[in-house]
This record gives sequence, C-alpha cells and structure tokens, in this order.
Amino acid sequence: MKLARYELKSGEKLEVFEFVSVGKKGRIYKMVQYSKTNYKGVYNLAFGDKNTMTGELDDMSISNNGDSEKVLATVVATPYAFFDSHPDAYVYATGSTESRTRLYQMGISKYLEEGLNDFEIFGEIESNWEEFKRDTNYLSFLVKLKEK
Amino acid sequence: MKKINLKKKPIVVIDETLDFFNDKVLFPEKLEKANKMLKEIGLPKKEKNTIANNG
Repeated sequence: MKLARYELKSGEKLEVFEFVSVGKKGRIYKMVQYSKTNYKGVYNLAFGDKNTMTGELDDMSISNNGDSEKVLATVVATPYAFFDSHPDAYVYATGSTESRTRLYQMGISKYLEEGLNDFEIFGEIESNWEEFKRDTNYLSFLVKLKEK
Repeated sequence: MKKINLKKKPIVVIDETLDFFNDKVLFPEKLEKANKMLKEIGLPKKEKNTIANNG
C-alpha cells in the first residue's frame, strides 16, 4: 500500500521531523518529535502544529486542512526513519485527549498488517500491555522494531 | 538482528536547522504524561527486566 505523504525534513539525529500540510486552510507546519523519556531507550512520540508566527507548538489543534489521510501517512512513515537510527528503542505514544488517542488507534489499525511485518506493537489496557488488537480500545501504545 | 525495511523508509531531507530542537522538549505535557504512565506500568513483561530506569 503506497499512500501519498508529505516530504519529511529532519535533523541529523532523526528525532525531530517537520513537514508542511497543504490544504484548504493553506500551509500548516507540522512537527513530530521522538523525545527521551525517563526510561533508557524509551522515546515518546508526539506531534502537533507549529505556529510559524510565534514558534509555539500545539498538539491539541484540529487542523481540518482536508488532508488528514496524507498527514497520518506521513506521521506513520516517521518510525521507519527513527528506528533506522535507533534500532533498539521503544516508542511510546498516547493522545493528548481521549479522542486523539482514538485517532492514533485508528491510524495503527489502518496500517496494522504492514506495521506488524516490521514492528512489535503493544496496547495499554487495564494497566497492562498486550499485543495490539484492532477491536480493543487502548490508553496508549508502545512500538519496537522486530528482531529479524 | 534488527534491520529496518529500507523500502518503507521515507525519504528524509536532512535539515540541520532542526537539530536546534534535539535537546528541547517540544511537547512537555505529553512527555510528562508518558513518564507517568511508564512509571505505573513499565514495559511489556517479557522486556521489563532488560530496561534500566534512568529516573
């Protein structure tokens, strides 16, 4: 499945990515960051809109730029670049709101078959991790590169 | 051995200006939430003992 996605820019460490969403509301700069957590080798994935006037970032915004599929495909592509330079890392992700977490869930579900070829994907439920299942609602997600 | 599927790796243009953000936390509330949740549940059990806590 080859979906359209935006061109990604990144710093040399492949931990911060930027792309520009182009849609009915114009150009919206998006940032994706993999930041170190307190746990060695575990990174937190977060993304949001960048206000080009103030430089502030907003992970609560709902852009409605009419290109959500392309934005999602672009964000979902970033782990392939991140894990290339951090092959032993875990990536943790959760939404800033319940609805945003559900959006993550839908995104993972959509790309699950493809993703499982390359990654182990876990979902958090009742204070435990289990292998991600499409029909279960999770609070957060954890991804690592599969041993090959 | 862990290797990324290069066919799926996106083309990424390296922009050194983005290195400015490497040591900055762009989404602090999300990171705080992640640290809190990881502290509570840790990692999947089979991996739990292999990861050292930096905190």
